[in-house]
Parts: sequence; structure tokens; C-alpha cells
Amino acid sequence: MDYEAVVGLEIHVQLNSATKMFCDCPNRPGDEPNQNICPICLWIPGAMPKFSQAVLEKATLVGLALNCEIQKENAFDQKVYYYPDLPKGFQLSQSHLPLAKNGWLDISDETGQPKRIRIHQVHMEEDVAKLVHETEGRTPISLVDFNRAGTPLVEIVSEPDIGSPHEAMEYIRSVRTQIRYVDSAECSMERGTMRVDANISLRPRGSEELNTKVEVKNMNSIHNVGNAIAYEITRQASRLKKGEAIVLHTRLWNPERQVTESMRGKFEGPCIPDPSVPRIVLTNEWLDTLKARLPEMPGIKAERFFKDYDLTHDEAVLMSSERNLSEYFEAVVKQGIAPRFAAHWIATQLLPALKERKQNVEDTPVTPERFSQLLSMLEGDAINTNSAKEVLAKLFDSTETPGAIVEKGGFKQVSDSSEIEGIVDQIIAENGPAVDDFHNGKTKAMGYLVGQAMQASKGKANPRLMKEILMEKLGTE
Amino acid sequence: MDPDNYSYIDNSPPETRGNGILKGKTGSIQPNMSVRGWPTEAGSKALEGFSALEDATVIERLRKAGVEITGSTCMSELGFGLTGDTAARVISDGDVDFALMTDTMGEARVAASSAGAFGFKPSYGLVSRYGLIGLVPSMECCGIMAKKTEDIRRVMEAIAGCDNHDLSMPEYEVPDFTHSGEPKDSRIVLGTIDQCMDPLDPGEIGAFNETLSKIQKSGITIRTCSLADFDLFRTVHNIIGSVEASSSAGKYDGVRYGHRAKSTENWNEMYLKSRGESFGLPIKAYLFQGTYFQFENYSAFEDACRIRARLVKHMEALFNEVDFLILPTRRHGLNVVNRTTIDEVYDVFSLALPANVTGLPAIHIPGSVLQDETDLGMQLIGPRLSDAHLLSLAGTLSHLCQGGI
Repeated sequence: MDYEAVVGLEIHVQLNSATKMFCDCPNRPGDEPNQNICPICLWIPGAMPKFSQAVLEKATLVGLALNCEIQKENAFDQKVYYYPDLPKGFQLSQSHLPLAKNGWLDISDETGQPKRIRIHQVHMEEDVAKLVHETEGRTPISLVDFNRAGTPLVEIVSEPDIGSPHEAMEYIRSVRTQIRYVDSAECSMERGTMRVDANISLRPRGSEELNTKVEVKNMNSIHNVGNAIAYEITRQASRLKKGEAIVLHTRLWNPERQVTESMRGKFEGPCIPDPSVPRIVLTNEWLDTLKARLPEMPGIKAERFFKDYDLTHDEAVLMSSERNLSEYFEAVVKQGIAPRFAAHWIATQLLPALKERKQNVEDTPVTPERFSQLLSMLEGDAINTNSAKEVLAKLFDSTETPGAIVEKGGFKQVSDSSEIEGIVDQIIAENGPAVDDFHNGKTKAMGYLVGQAMQASKGKANPRLMKEILMEKLGTE
Repeated sequence: MDPDNYSYIDNSPPETRGNGILKGKTGSIQPNMSVRGWPTEAGSKALEGFSALEDATVIERLRKAGVEITGSTCMSELGFGLTGDTAARVISDGDVDFALMTDTMGEARVAASSAGAFGFKPSYGLVSRYGLIGLVPSMECCGIMAKKTEDIRRVMEAIAGCDNHDLSMPEYEVPDFTHSGEPKDSRIVLGTIDQCMDPLDPGEIGAFNETLSKIQKSGITIRTCSLADFDLFRTVHNIIGSVEASSSAGKYDGVRYGHRAKSTENWNEMYLKSRGESFGLPIKAYLFQGTYFQFENYSAFEDACRIRARLVKHMEALFNEVDFLILPTRRHGLNVVNRTTIDEVYDVFSLALPANVTGLPAIHIPGSVLQDETDLGMQLIGPRLSDAHLLSLAGTLSHLCQGGI
């Protein structure tokens, strides 16, 4: 029988608010162990939680970015379970009355067709402490670092609308882009600020049934999510073909072996309304001010880039994929650079150069102003492409203007035809055999001669002019 | 001062305290109220050796008002019931002017009935719970016992009002506690609850009616009201209370403070043994019951929450007919201490806990309903935030019941 995959993702995202969710401790889990702690996040008897407005704002922006309906009344529940990473025996989360419901994101499936993935809900949740396992002599010991306890998370629960590893990866990338746009979180799977659990089941292709699912955790990159889902589809299909049942349980992705391994039966503790944090009531006015803070979101921005700037679809999507990048692009265009030219140079030259230097568009010394000055010299034929690439490299290490670098480095393009004519005459004189080849119909020889001539100009000649003059001279001779 | 009545006596040299409205007054607290550096074990081995890290908001405000807090009395484990509680004794011994006592099921009112004192439970959310080591967050509040309503009024003046450490305190106008209330005019209407009288025996009803007729003679109108589900208050309190207690006590794991079991194999066993050794029988049963509802019978808990909301509405509706409700504080012939089962504990508070379920203010008026020398007490329940009015009326009625006019 032919099976199709039914996948739903639960994505935990660590919000980037300055403080924790229920106290004023810094939200910096990575600091020296147990530095960012207080009676509240240690749940010392007598302490009472206070709820951070900044967290509420960041979380609501996530809900809005994922096209959700924000719930005017939402509330915290206690997820009850015992584990040493949880100092109070329950985790504050939202189950009965989540912050946001009924969202969606549009992604492209394998064939490039748009597909809508529905989002069941987005809710707030506090993170738990981190356990560190060590040994003391021969005795294994477990240490608890409470820096992370009480830091703010949102959990994004999709509907089981995802049908393949490709769709899962596209969906995660899209969630990441949307959340980064509203500056609510870093969303790095590698750094653990975004964690993805996948619920996977199979069903006969075309049927509507929902079968027993398996939960897979511990993927530390978007690619690993795709690999884990692919592995799990194969594993479950072979079980079903052998007539073996799928049992509800949790599996861990093993990145070294590239397989999922059974961990435990899936545990669902009770969730009871929390009596300490009052119900959160949002007013229309509050929501309106928050909506006003939403930036132009990537889908709309890409559409605008496509229409207003005549970018190709791919260019428009790339230039709007990160908020800072899109702002950089538009700043360059604003300096009068042709949009497609700017997009092309950003994509093919600037981004690889930034990646190599581990810089970002927002903090590179190659500011939009300097980059525009460079492109404008290139557009105006003051320098040629080769020189432009060299000048770009120099912009990273110098504070001088591109104009000054061109001037000092002698990168100015030679467009003086008498100067070029001199070089061409010399090349023709020195390369008799190649000239003969050209006259004998070997058109390749032309390329060789242009190359020689460019070299002789130390790369500074205007290549178009050079070729024209060479053609002229060879043709008339 | 009988040292047996105290779990901690403050022997530190008296500091210069505030010079406020309570200057010269003394008060005791229970060891579930945080005073920085004081042992705060809440009567439980689960908190063995635990000292508070900071002052509760109530403590801070009392001290600022000039109160000298003399020490902590003894209390039942985590405040569940009155077994071993000595707050009433320090009042009847005259050690202090007032005693703070967490009122979760009616403790401050029922305990006051054995001390010849007033026992007051404020409106829920009127007094900060920051620094209180509580058990049932949605039911408990800071109760006050004192021989004079005037002292309770002054304490409330000092401690009532918004505290941004306690999120459960909505912002509202705090009742005016600054004036001792003048005796209210006789147009006041009190209501009895028919269904609350049903389970009482003839002796109890007789004693209560005797008091009612005294009040009526003074010109105050008394009406009979009906609250069909009165018997559900106890069930609702029992279910929700045990569920919340089970969560609240989840933090007692023996890891960061409190009793930790010796030589265990792993952390899970450490939890189980430490908790097993820490808790006494009644609280253990209560926590187990809460866990049962959490894990095995959640729908019963949901029903209880729904019924609670309905009871709150019904109770509020009664205040369209009458100004205050009046009922006995406790049953006759019940030894309030040494209760070992959950049911036995609840028996003690069956008439007091409606105010906790609904969050309404209530007060026990001493010496007003006597049966064979047991002070059954007259309990007044008022509308939300009628606390100041309730206190002044309690003073008037007390005077009236003891022969005054």
C-alpha cells in the first residue's frame, strides 16, 4: 500500500525579552550557572510571580506575525510533572485559554506550488532549568542551573497539514522569518533558541484518517528535522507493511547515526488552571498599538519588490527574507542604484563576502551608503566589474570612501580610446599567431586577445571599449 | 507568655519601629508568614530549617505602622485545619493585641470562637499574600484575630491595599478603614440562609434564634434567604482546595530546603522518600486527593470550578435582598483540634468556608451565640469590599448581643 505522511510540528521559540517571564531576572540562560536567579524563579516559598508585559508584547507579536487570532482573554495553566529541572512541580503554560489561535503560513511545496499550513495555536510557556550531569569521584551527580528557569517561550503548534520533509523545513524557515521580522526571537536551532518536535504518522494515500503518531525530538538543525521525518516515514512504513502496529511514544533523533531511537512512552500530565497568575485581558486599544508596531511582513514586502522594483520572484523573496537585509536593499535603491542591479550585487557579492567575514548587514562597515557609492561608480563606468570586486574587499578593512579607494588604488577604468588604441596596437603587434588564427576564422582567438589587452591595461580598461577597438583594428587590417 | 504556644519568639532587641497608627501594639504571626531571617517552617517537616529570605508585604506594612511582632505561634501542617494551632491561645492569654492567622477554610473565625475574640477574614485580594507560604491560593487570605474590632480595623488600615508583588490583587478602591464606624442605623437588613440551618440540630438552632430575636428587638430587620446549593460549598472547597494544595506543595521536593531523605538511589526515589517522610497524615491525604482529581478525575475538578462560579453569583445576588448575611460560625460539640481525616477537618469549617469559596469578607462575633458554654458564634458575611462596614457592624452587634442597646 502507498502511504502518505501526516506531520504536525510543535516549535518552541525562546523570546528575546530583556527579562524572564515572571520575575525581573535577566533573560540570559547562557551566563555562568545560577547567576540570573531570584526567589521567584527558584519558586522559594512565599514568592509570587509577576507577569512581564514585555513578554506579553513579544509573544503577541509572534501571534500576529503568524496570522493568528489573538485571544482577548487568555490564562496560564499548570502542567504538572516531577523532574529536577522544575523547581515547583509544575510548569506554567497555556492550555485551556491560549494567547493566539487559528493562524497560518503559506509555503511552497516540492513542485513550487503554494500550500497553506494552518497553525492550531500559539501560547506562552516558561522554560525549565538546565540539568548538568557530572561525576564526583565515581559518583554520578546531577547539577541544576536555574538561569533558564522561567525564561519566556512561545510554543507554536501547527495543524497536521505538513506532508513531507521538504514542507516541514519550508514551514520552519517561514516561521523563523516571520518571527525575526517582528524581532521577538533569534530562532536559531543550532543555538537552541528554536526547538522543534515533530509528530509523525502515516495513512493510506488519499485517506483522511489520523493514525497513531510518534513524537520525535532532539533535532538541532532544520536539515535534521527533514532527515528525522524522512527516516521516521520509512521506519513506520516498513512496520506497517509488516503488519506491525505503531505505538504512541517519543523518539530521539540521533544525529551521528541519522536514525530515531525510542526514548519513552509519551507522557501527558494534567493541566490545571493556575490560580496565582490572573487571567490576561487584552483591550482593543492595546492590540491596536501593537499592530501598529508590526513592520511590513515579508510576503507583502516581496510582492511590493516584485511590482515596484521589477525584481524577479526569486530576487524579491531573497531581498525580503530578512528584515535587515530588506532595509539594506531599499537603502541602496534609495541612493539611486537600479534595483535589479543592486539586488544582483547584494546577492552575488555582498552576502558571500559578509558570510566569509561573519558579519551581518546591520553591523558591517560596508554601509548601504558606501556600497551604493561603489555601485554607482560601476554603473557610471568609472570602474569595471573586476575593480569593483577588489574595491568591495577593501571597503571591509578601510574607513575611506569607495571614491578615495579607487583614486588611491588606481582602480579608475580607462575609457580614453586613444590610450586603449595604443594598448591594442601593441597587443596586435606582439601576438602575430593569434591574429592570424582570428583571420582564419578561429573566433576563440578574439577572447585571447581581449584577455591579453586587459592584462596589459592592468585590468583597468573598459572591456567593452577594448573589444570594440580591437574588432575595428583587426577588421580593417 | 507560655513558650509552648510559640514556634519562635523574637528576642532581638526592639528596633526603632515605625511611628504609625499601630504604635505600641503587639501582634503574633504564624510561621507561614515571611519575616526575614525567622524560621518559617509552616508547621511542616517539608520546610525544616527554612528561614524566610525577605519580609512579607504584610509584615513590612505592620512594622511601618509601629507594630511589634512578638513571634510565631504554632500551626497545623501547612495550615490545613487547626490541629496544634496556638494562635487562639496567645489571644486568650492576652499576650498580644492581635494574631494573624491564614484563613483558608475559616480558621481565623473558628479559632477565635475558642478565644472569645473576633475573627476576621477580609475580602479576597484586599491584603497582599506576598510572603505567605500558602496552600490554596484562590481561597486563602490573611485572617486577623483580636479582642477588639478597633484593633482589627487599625490592622486593616495598615495592611490593606494594592501590592505590585501580588498579581491577584486587582486595582480597586480600598475600603476606608480610617474611621471607627458609627453604629449603623436600624434600617440595616440581615439575611439568614435557610439551607444553612437545615443540618443544624435543635439546640444549635435554638441558640441562634435567640440571638436573632435580640437583634430584631433592636430594630434591625432579619429576612430568610434561600441559597439552594449551600451544601455544595463544602464539596467545591474540598475538590478545588485539594487540587490547588497538591500543586502548591509540589515545590517541597527536599532539593533546595526542607527535609531530605537519607541514602536514596536516584532523584525520583529521593523525591518520593523525602515527601513521604515530610508530610503528616491529614495533609498527605489532602495532597493525594488533589492529585487524584488532577490525574484521574479532572472533569470533577472542572465541575467544581463551574459550580464555584455559580455559587459566587448566587451569593452576590443575595446582597440585592439584604445588606449582610448572618449565620453561625461553627457547629456544636466538635473538637476542632486532632482531626485526622479530610472529612473531619471539613466538619469543623462547614459553616465558615462559604466565605472562602466566594472570596467575600466575613467576621466571627464572639459570645453572641452560646450553647452549653460553647461559643457557636455569629458570623457575618458581607458583599465584596464591604470590609470596613462589616467591622463596624460587628462591633455594634457584639455590643447589642451582650446586653447593650
